[in-house]
Parts: sequence; structure tokens; C-alpha cells
Amino acid sequence: MNRRYFLMGAAGLAACSRDRRARLNVFNWSDYIAPDTIPKFEAEYGVRVRYGIYESNEEMLARVMGGNSGWDVVFPTDYIVKPMLANDLLAQVHREELPDLAQLEPRFQKPEWDPELKWSVPYMVIAAGIAYNRKLNPPPRTWADMWDERLRGRMTMLDDPFDVIGACLKKLGLSVNSSDPGELRRAQAEAIRQKPLLRAYLNAEVRDQLVSGDVLAAHMWNTTAQQAMDSSPDIGFAYPEEGYAVYPDCAVILRESKRPELAHKFLHFLLRPDIAAANALAARTTTTNAGARKILPPAFRDNPTLYPGPDVIARGEWAKTTDPAAQRLRDRLWTEIKSA
Amino acid sequence: MKRLRAWFLAPTWTVMLSLFAAPLAIILAYSFLTRGTWGGLTRPWSTESYQRLADPIYLGILWRSFWIAGAATVLCLVLGFPLALFISRAGNRKNLYLSLVILPFWTSFLVRTYAWMFLLRDTGLINTVLQKLGLIHNPLPLLYNDGAVILGLVYGYLPFMVLPLYATLERLDRNLLEAAADLGAKPWVALTRVVIPLSAPGIRAGAILVFIPCLGAYLTPDLLGGGKTVMIGNLIQNQFTTARDWPFGSAVSLTLMAIVLVLLLVFVRRQEGGLV
Repeated sequence: MNRRYFLMGAAGLAACSRDRRARLNVFNWSDYIAPDTIPKFEAEYGVRVRYGIYESNEEMLARVMGGNSGWDVVFPTDYIVKPMLANDLLAQVHREELPDLAQLEPRFQKPEWDPELKWSVPYMVIAAGIAYNRKLNPPPRTWADMWDERLRGRMTMLDDPFDVIGACLKKLGLSVNSSDPGELRRAQAEAIRQKPLLRAYLNAEVRDQLVSGDVLAAHMWNTTAQQAMDSSPDIGFAYPEEGYAVYPDCAVILRESKRPELAHKFLHFLLRPDIAAANALAARTTTTNAGARKILPPAFRDNPTLYPGPDVIARGEWAKTTDPAAQRLRDRLWTEIKSA
Repeated sequence: MKRLRAWFLAPTWTVMLSLFAAPLAIILAYSFLTRGTWGGLTRPWSTESYQRLADPIYLGILWRSFWIAGAATVLCLVLGFPLALFISRAGNRKNLYLSLVILPFWTSFLVRTYAWMFLLRDTGLINTVLQKLGLIHNPLPLLYNDGAVILGLVYGYLPFMVLPLYATLERLDRNLLEAAADLGAKPWVALTRVVIPLSAPGIRAGAILVFIPCLGAYLTPDLLGGGKTVMIGNLIQNQFTTARDWPFGSAVSLTLMAIVLVLLLVFVRRQEGGLV
């Protein structure tokens, strides 16, 4: 490269950074938006968006904890909202700028983690249940079925302390959010009893092994299960009869954001039924937006994996923030399960 | 002259201070703080994180990590020594073979570990071929156990054993072997009494280069062990992620570093004239 070209390149770079359009920084879970949502927003509002992705709440939290991460909008799960608020990380949401909040399903209008929706806007919701191969007869219907000797070596649990301990608590008829040491110990004993029967603790990566038939039953998030069902007709999904954990993810505006008005415009855009529907359809998830649900293709909106009936929804339990003492005990119990 | 030298070393010093010493100091400070109510860090300063380490469960995890890393190192040596010996005597094909040893580094370790998962699965290549040949009826449980973890580590770190071994074996004076033969040593005796003692520096260097990264491994136990085996690396990772207990994670990291450092010092002491 000679000097002239170098200088031309440098001038080009400088020109890029002088782009007059405002820039919004959005940090979201991977595969959690339709591919054309961001381009559409950029075109309609004449702005630019820097879009980053993460794989876990902890990863996101570690980035934004310092208060100068450079992100404007992030998507914590419900039980992360309170800790973020306690650490002074959130900016208040101006409801008057978000008329489409009225489109949310009633159960997300006054959620217990943020009853007035002052800090968070429900986006999509994930639930954990059992995905299974339809060869299994009878199919699993309860958590207790995941302790079945006949499935030895052919089943997996999620590699996540809250999910595994939560499933054990549900098997015992207790709350997934229990912070009672005695109850947690009993749940741990269940997990240790189950461990020799398990092939492994796996998250989304178990999907391929379920489709290939290596694994017959897997503790799985409904969105991952839906992806498996999209690629194979042999896969089914069950919401266990004892109950199950539900994880609503919310959009929040960070306090550090220098463009809260633009961030509100983005939240408004995400709440628009057509946009929310496109996002749910592309991400294979459950929208919290009743207006969006109405315009989803019927085959998608009526599928029982992502949009179960009211009796199933009633069995679901929202994940809550665990208090620090219980959190530490749970971590300890998880380490013991893993080294058992 | 001296000033000039200082100037030339300045970039190195800057990098070392900002990218090595400063983060280490931060971790040291973290390890003496307290976990915040919702994660993060608060005061008071305390040594509680270090006291928790004395708990038998963490000592068990440490022991297990040593066991797995040790097994992987021994296997690397057993596999790597003949290979290094073969390459050192391969004449003008040496460079070709050496490139082949390094070839896997062209692809990411993560991708290569995934490749092993596809080989070892129930419906993977190995089980499918064995079943087609009629040697087995039910797939062997090759994936998600300690064996798979050790296999993954041996596969990943074998080149680190082969290269230093090759370096010492290549310099080995062939006349010594002829002398041993002339004095009546059978090939096996020549190997155990001449070649292996003379290549001890290479064996030590290779063992250190394999053992230390294996001890801190977290990707391999996670992917090939299926989360059923915890090594010290997984414990640390978990403290910084789901457990949100940075002080404890920092304390475990520093303890692991201290153990490795002590081991290194012991090894280097034993050896006259430096590491390699």
C-alpha cells in the first residue's frame, strides 16, 4: 500500500465516523430478533444501530455492571431486573411514549418483578420443559419421568443451576424459587440420585443429539425444542404436570444511555404488533404481545410448544431473584451435584 | 547506550505492565473483597474467599483436576515420545512431519473439540462403523465421561509434548547409540539407559507445557465431559458467571496460579541449566 492510498483510506474512515445519524447501541440475546427488524428501524427513523449479542444474563451483566459499557438497550431476564435496579443501572421507562404497552398480554401488564412497568418492557418469554423422541411410549409427562431407569444414559438435563434445582424442586411439589435450605437440600438429593442416569448436562447443543436419536428425553427450553421440532417430526415437547419455570425477557434502557429518547423509540418499535410478530416468528419464541399474536400465522400461534393453553400456563412459575444467602447455598449445592 | 536499551524495552514493559501485571493486581484486590448483594464487589476486605477453599469439596475438585491433567500428560508422553523419535530420524521428511504435527493449530480448538463430539457420539462415526462391522450391537458410551475428557486433552496438547521432545532428540549424538551397541547394549537397553536419560530436559519441558494448560482446562471438560465432571477451570468460570461470586473466583484463580508456580520452581530447581 502506498502513502496516497493509505491517506485516502484514512480519510474514508474519518468520513465514516462523521456520519451525522444518531447511533443506538442494542445488546440482545443471540437469535432473538428477526433479521430485518434492525434495518427497518434504521430506515424508518434515519438512525444507525450497533447491534451486539450475548449468550447469558451473566455475560451481559458483567459488561454493563461498570456503568460505561456503551450500550443503550439490553434484554435481561425478569429476575435480573431487580439486581440491575439495585445497582442503579436502569433508566426509568416513560410509559406515555409507549402506547403499545396496552398490546401486552394481561399477565405481562403488571408483572410482579416490575408491577408498574417503570423499568422494563416484557419482550419474549421462554419456559423449560421436557423435549422427547416420539418413539418413547408412553411419552414423558412429569419431571419424575426423568428419573426413569429405562432412560438411563439416553436423557440430559440443562447445564444450569437454576433450571436443574428448579426441576428437582418441582418434582417434590415445591416452588422453583425456594430459598429454604431444607427444601434446597432435598432437591439436591434428587439431582444426585438422577445424575448416574443422565448422559450429560447440556444446553442448546443437545438439540442435534435429540434429532439424531442419541438422546430420547432432554430437559430443554421451549424455543430450543421448537427448533428441534422444525427440523424433525419425531420430536415432542411436554410441560411437566408438576409445574415448570418461566423466564420472561425484558427490554430495558440503561441509565448510562446518552440517547434515552431514541431508546424509547426503539422500544416503541419493538412493541409494534407487526414487528413483535416478525421477531417471535424468526426467533421461534413466545411473544408477550397479544396484538402480535393475533397476526401470527395460525399454525405458529396455535402450536402448543410455544403457545400452550391456559391450563398449562397456569402451571408455570416465574423465576424470581434469589436472595444472596440462598444464591450462595444454591451455588454450593450445584458444585456438590457436579462433583458427586 | 543504556538509555537506548531502555527505550527499546519500553513497549515490552508497557505491554507487560498493562496487560499482565495490572489485571493480576486487580484479581488480587478482588479476591480480598466481599461479594455484593446482587453480584459485583463490596467492602469489607476479608480473607473469607481463601478460607472457603479449605473446604473438602474444593480440595476434591483440585485433586480431580490434578488427576486428569496428570493422566493426559502421561498419555501425551507415551504417544509423543515414539513420534518425536520417529520424526527426528526421518531425514529430509522432518519438516513435512513437523508441519503435520502443527497443522491442527490452523483450526480453532473449539471447532476441533466439536469434531470429536461428532466422532464419539452414539450415532457418530466410530459407533456407526463398529455397528456396521457387527463388532458391537449397542453403541459404546464414548462421549461424556472422564475418558473423553482425557482424550480431548491429549489430542489438544500432544504437539506441545512432541515439539520439545523433538528438539532434544534431534540434537542427540548418534555416536552415543553406536557406542552403546558396540558395548553390547540391546536396542531396548540403549533406549532406556541412553536415549531417555539424555532427553530428560525435553520430557520435562513437554510435561510442563502439557500439564499446566490441562490443569486449567474448562472447555474440554464442559464439551466432552458433558458438564458431569468439574475441573478447577469450570469452578472458576462458574464463579464469574452463574454464581456471580467474583471474589471467590479470583481467589481460586490465584491459588491455582500459586500451585503452578511452586510446581514450576520445583521442576526448574531439579534441573541444572534452566528450563529447556
